[in-house]
Formats: sequence, structure tokens, C-alpha cells
Amino acid sequence: MSARWFARRCLFIGYTLLVVSLLVFAITQALPADAAVTLLGENATPAALAALRLKLGLNDPVWLQYWHWLSALLRGDFGISMRTGQPVGPMMFSALARSLLVAGLALALMLAVAVPLGLVAALRRGGPLDLAAGLISYLGVSLPEFVTGTVLLLLLADHLHWLPATGYVPLLRNPLDSLRHLVLPVLTVSLVMVAHVSRMVRSEMIDVLHSDYVRAARLKGLPARTVLFRHALRNALLPVITVVALDVGYLLGGIIVVEEIFAIPGIGRELIVAIEMRDLPAIQAGALIMAGTYAVANFLADIAYALLDRRIRYD
Amino acid sequence: MSALLDIAGYSLDYRTRAGTLRVLDAVNLRIARGEVLGLVGESGSGKSSLAWAIMRHLPGNAHEAGGAILLDGADLLRMRPREVAALRGRRIGMVFQDPSTALNPTLTLGRQISETLAHHRGMTRAQAWQASLEALRHVELRDPEALMRRYPHEVSGGEKQRVVIATAFAARPELIIFDEPTTALDVITGARILALFQRLRAETGVGGLYISHDLALVSQVADRIAVIRRGQIVEQAAARSLFVSPGAEYTKALIEAVPRPERRLVADLPGTQVLVSVEEIGVTYGRRQWFGRRQVAGNRGISLSVHAGEILGVVGESGSGKSTLARALTGLTPFEGTIVQGGRRITAPAQMDRAYRSQVQIVFQHPDSSLNPRQRIGEILARPLRLFGGSPAEVPRLLEQVRLPASYATRFPHELSGGEKQRVAIARASAARPALIICDEITAALDVSVQRAVVDLLLALRREHGTAYLFITHDLNLVRQVAHRLAVMHRGALVDLLAVDAVGGAQAHPYTRALLGATPAPFA
Repeated sequence: MSARWFARRCLFIGYTLLVVSLLVFAITQALPADAAVTLLGENATPAALAALRLKLGLNDPVWLQYWHWLSALLRGDFGISMRTGQPVGPMMFSALARSLLVAGLALALMLAVAVPLGLVAALRRGGPLDLAAGLISYLGVSLPEFVTGTVLLLLLADHLHWLPATGYVPLLRNPLDSLRHLVLPVLTVSLVMVAHVSRMVRSEMIDVLHSDYVRAARLKGLPARTVLFRHALRNALLPVITVVALDVGYLLGGIIVVEEIFAIPGIGRELIVAIEMRDLPAIQAGALIMAGTYAVANFLADIAYALLDRRIRYD
Repeated sequence: MSALLDIAGYSLDYRTRAGTLRVLDAVNLRIARGEVLGLVGESGSGKSSLAWAIMRHLPGNAHEAGGAILLDGADLLRMRPREVAALRGRRIGMVFQDPSTALNPTLTLGRQISETLAHHRGMTRAQAWQASLEALRHVELRDPEALMRRYPHEVSGGEKQRVVIATAFAARPELIIFDEPTTALDVITGARILALFQRLRAETGVGGLYISHDLALVSQVADRIAVIRRGQIVEQAAARSLFVSPGAEYTKALIEAVPRPERRLVADLPGTQVLVSVEEIGVTYGRRQWFGRRQVAGNRGISLSVHAGEILGVVGESGSGKSTLARALTGLTPFEGTIVQGGRRITAPAQMDRAYRSQVQIVFQHPDSSLNPRQRIGEILARPLRLFGGSPAEVPRLLEQVRLPASYATRFPHELSGGEKQRVAIARASAARPALIICDEITAALDVSVQRAVVDLLLALRREHGTAYLFITHDLNLVRQVAHRLAVMHRGALVDLLAVDAVGGAQAHPYTRALLGATPAPFA
């Protein structure tokens, strides 16, 4: 991993975000929404509307509007929300932080479940546990999260009253209560990922267990546990990193649905509200931030891969 | 003398869907302390299965059908998994065929050798590290400190195999199984590894089972040789007497098939007309990048020509650029320089039209990947016939030409043996009646007996049609039997181009002589 590679990747992320910003801007331009009408309401006088349009620069050519928006973005200014009158940037980033909490916990839970599950399924290939894991995985993949989320909610919150159904409590205010509220959404989001990742770990593990170097490690007389964890699992997990990075894309989409079900004020929910309210600056900021998160996640996955597999050199 | 290893009446079956397959049939073998027994057989003979049986590492569908494998009198078959685990690596070591796959790609070499020592000799990490350094120094590796911190992909194949050997010897086992330890290596590297093995053997007095398909090579390292065929030991004898007076017919055929450079298979001289000549051919591998471009020279400045009916051998180690030359000649890779054929000067693959291709054809090393698995043999052969103005009706003639029954036209490639598949590939290449066929290591994946038959076929085609060959191989013994001239390649450059009987002469390049010196002379 050379500094050049690093610089190039950062440049590439910047370029991606630029393209996304163009797309986002183009789409919001095409929306049947008039910012002046949104702000002043349906009953505003034409004179007031015209004055506001002039003030907002809505009469400027499109490219100039884009340039104003973009240069403000580069200064860290995402604009003012039409709905709340507050700056969009801080609003979206604090929502992102809440989403990342859910996503991070879901990823951690997923890895904690999927890796051992895949490992055991590979070792007991064709056994009852492998079949059960396979069945659960296929169910997990085929059921959309609004179904699993709703079922979990009905069962664990509504029926058994083990957990609060919806809502969000900041982690720092009341950690225990906060986590109790997070259990259901985290469970829902991680379920689908557990499905792919455990299957992936299983098939990689089966391949690696048949590899020459695992056989060589066994025939060197190393204890079974050393062979399994040091020689086999480590190599089997490498391709899994890529899948996890791709899953971040799913996570960002899935989280919108889950936040809606469990009423978590994350970025997905903010985005939905923004779209409903035709809050253009919020929509633009939300879309850009999500794209940026995805790009950074993949970047981190590449770095992790290179650190774990020394054959990979980025230069 | 008590035997170190005594295999008595051992039989092994594999249960497959098609039924039970007997892979080892009442095998009797003894290895005395300090003795090295060579086990020679062709692919599928069961030689590797025997190694797995001794190591107690048999696949799930294996079924042991009687007999015993005694190590120092104790039957391995009756041992509990725990006793077997205590044996592996410690009393019986193993050296594998391909060091690049036998080493874990994500652990440092030092870790991989020292973990073994720590386990078997009850050392702490620090002690094991020190002992590993010593072990690596002992297998003549330079700068072991640095090597210990490297990963397998960062060192050469020879160095990797030395690490594997050091690991096998480090626990001071009584018996080491060598499973074709030089097959995946270059000739020169392989010769050095053999020399190392001889030295270590003399020092440690270890017993060995040396498995190989290469009779010439085994004759150099083993005290006694056992020949195995279809799971049965057909003959065992002292290494020297086996070659002087082989008992079994199969052994005779095997010895007969081993290429001997002094026994020429081609008597006539090539024509004077130049078929194809390459002038200053160079190939660079590289990929475009955002900033700048990194390039690796594959071949550089190669000039040679092939005459009508000539067999031009191209030899060199893996990575020397032999195949790159073949790829340039067939337009499979962009190249610099000029190829002259039929009075035309070709400077880019795009200029290689049908007329050029009808004159220059190629046969690849692996018929498995060069024949389309979803096409029947008839279709595979009809394609070039149609393309080059023939008729699909000629398919039976093509098959007959390569000594295959016409009924094979309706078969799929997977229904044929390796040698048969290579015959189909040869038939496909000859469909256009080319003046030159490039043979890129076409016998490397075949057994010696099959290799001989394929070479005989090439020579027969040459007699009938006057075909010239560019015969690319790493097997110097083989190529000296057939080639008129030899082109010797080293690191992408042509270092020598000389008549075949001049290879050992004073005019030969030092590298050529080194290559010749490293080639195991059969039965010397």
C-alpha cells in the first residue's frame, strides 16, 4: 500500500462524490418541486414568490446554481433546511451517527454469529447443523427486512413484551435503555447479512480445508485447533471482507426501511421525511452523505484486505 | 535388519458412485533404516494414495481392505487419532510436490517453520525461532533472518522448497516421504534440491520414500526402486539392476519410453527454405495505470527462423519466455518487432489473417483447457476444416491421422484420456495443413509412455506432410532426441541458438551448459 495508491484512492472517492453530486443535483432539479412554493406555502402571493425566487437564486442558470451549491458544499455548508430552517449539515450528520450506531452494532452482531455458524457448517458439512444453517440462511436472504422486522416486533415487543417496540434513546443519556431500544432494529438488519456471510464463510472454509497448505499443516503434525484457526479460518475470512464491504451498500438501503419501522431518527428516516416535504437541500445532503459512506466503507475494506493478505499490493 | 517401515499386503479401495475402485492391491514394501526407496509409477498408479495411507490422511471414501503398515513394528492402521497425531511431522515427515501451494500464503515463512518446531520439540517461541534460523541455514539458505520474515510469495520456488525441506527435517523424523519434490521446480533448481537432499540424508541417516514419475531422477536418489502400476507393485530391485535387467514387461516399456538424448528419433535434415522468421521480437507485459505505466519485459530482441520440415527445440526454465514467444507467433499477445512469413512482414497480431494462420498453428500444454468441453470431438475438428476451406467430411481422416478411431467424433473431451485429448488437439492444429506447428510443452502433462506415443505421432505427421515444429519444452533429454537445432532462452532473452549436437560443446553459452549439467541423465 503505497502513499501513491492512497492518494489515488482518495482522489477517486472525491471524483465519485463529484459525479454523485451532479446526479443528485440533476435529480432534485427535475423534481416537481418549487422551493419558493415549498417555503411560502400554496397561498403565497405571486409577488412574494418572485421576490423569494430572486433571493434564493432560483432564476439563475442551472449551472450557476450548481456551482453555488457545490462551492458551499466544499466549505462544509450543506444549506438550510426548508422544513426546519436549521442548517442541513449538522442535522444530517447527527442522524448519520445514529444510523452508524445501528449499522455498526448490526455488523458486529453479524460477524459474531455468521463466522462461527459458517465455520461449524463447513466442518459438519451435510450434517443437521449445516442443513439448518442453510435453511435459515435462505429464509434470511429471501425475506425482506420489513417482513422480518415486523415479525420480530410483533413477537418480541408486542406479544412477549421483552423489548420496547419503537423509539430511540441516545446512548449517552441512558445506555441500557438505549441498547434495549436498539436490539430489534439491529437484529433485523443483521439477519440478512448473517445469511450471506455465513454461507460465504462456509464455502470459503470448505475450499481452504481442501487446500494443499492446510493438508501440509495437518501433516506437519500441528494440533487440529492450530490448523483450523491459524491456517484455515484466517485465509477463509479474506474473501468475506469483500462481501461485508458490499453488504454495507445493502445496510444503507436496509437501514432506511428499518429506521422507518422502529422509528429511529437516523439518516434514512431524515431522507424519507425530506423527500415527503420536498426539502431539497436535505435530500441532496442525505444522498451525498450516503454515497460518501459507501465509498469510504469500500476503501476501508480494501485496506483491511491488504493488511491481512500480504500478497495484495496496491501501488 | 529390522525394517523401519513395513507395508504388508496392504490394500485400499475408494468407494465412488461408479462402484468400488481398488487403488492399492496387496502392496508389500519394506524400507530399512536409512534406506531410500523410490516409488515410480504413472499418474493414477496409486503412488500418492500409498503416501496418504502412510500419513494416515485418506479421503472419506477410502476403505482399507486388509494388510498392515508397520512403523518400527507398530501398526499405523490400529493407531488412535491421537497416536497418529503424535507421529506426523515428528517420526514421519513429508515434503510436498508444489512448495507454492504447500505453504500458507498469509503466514511468514518463519512462523510456518517455527510453529512446527515449537510443537514437536516443546520449545518456546523464542527457542523455536532460533532453531528455525539454524534449520534454514542448514538447508543452505542465505540470510535466514530476512527470509523468516518474508511471506511465501516473496521468495523463489527453490527457496520455498528448501523451507519445506527444512521443516520436514527439523523435527528429526525417522522417515520422510517425498512426493515429487522437484516436479514443480526448474531443472537447475531441482538439481540443487536433489543435491541438498543427498547431503541431508547422509548427515541424518533418515529413511525415505521417494515418489516420482521420473525414472531417470529416481535412479539418482534411491537405493532401491519399486515400480507400481494400477495399485500393484510390479517389480522392486536395487536401483542399478532395475535398469540393467528389468524383470517385468511394464518396467521394460517404462524404461524404453524414457527419453535418451543419445537415441535420435529423427534422422533426416530439414529443408533450406525459411518458413517463418522472427526479427527482434519483444513482448512487454504491463498494465496501464492512472499515472504512468509499469512494464515488465517478457521477451526482448529475439531473432530466429524456422526452416521447412525443421524441428526447432526451444528450451529454458519456466518464466524464461518460451511460451511468450509462442504467444507472439500466434498473435495471442501484442509484440514489437517483425514476423516474416511467406514474403510478408507482420508487425501486429491484427495482420495475422487466415492465410497466416493456415500456415502457423499451435498445440497447447493442457488439452483439458484448450478443448471446448461442451463440443463433441467432431465439432472441434470440423471448425478449422470449414475455416480453412476443407470439408467436415474429412473429420474421420483427421482422426485416423492421429491414430484415433473415427467413432471418437461423437464423444466429448472428458470421455478421452489425457493422451487422446492431446491427439485431438494435434489433429485440430493439422486440419489446415500448416507448414509449422508450435508445440508448447505438449507432453509436459502426460506420462512418459504416453509422451513417447505423442512424439512418435508428431514425427509420423512430419514424415507424411513435411510439417515443421517449434518444439517448446523444459525436457532437454526429450528435445535432444528430436530437434535439429536448439534455441535456449533465459530470462526473456535468446542466449543460444545452435545445432543439437553442439549443446555440450565449447561454443555453447554457459547457461546452456548449466542447463545440460542439471538435467538428470537417464541411468547414468
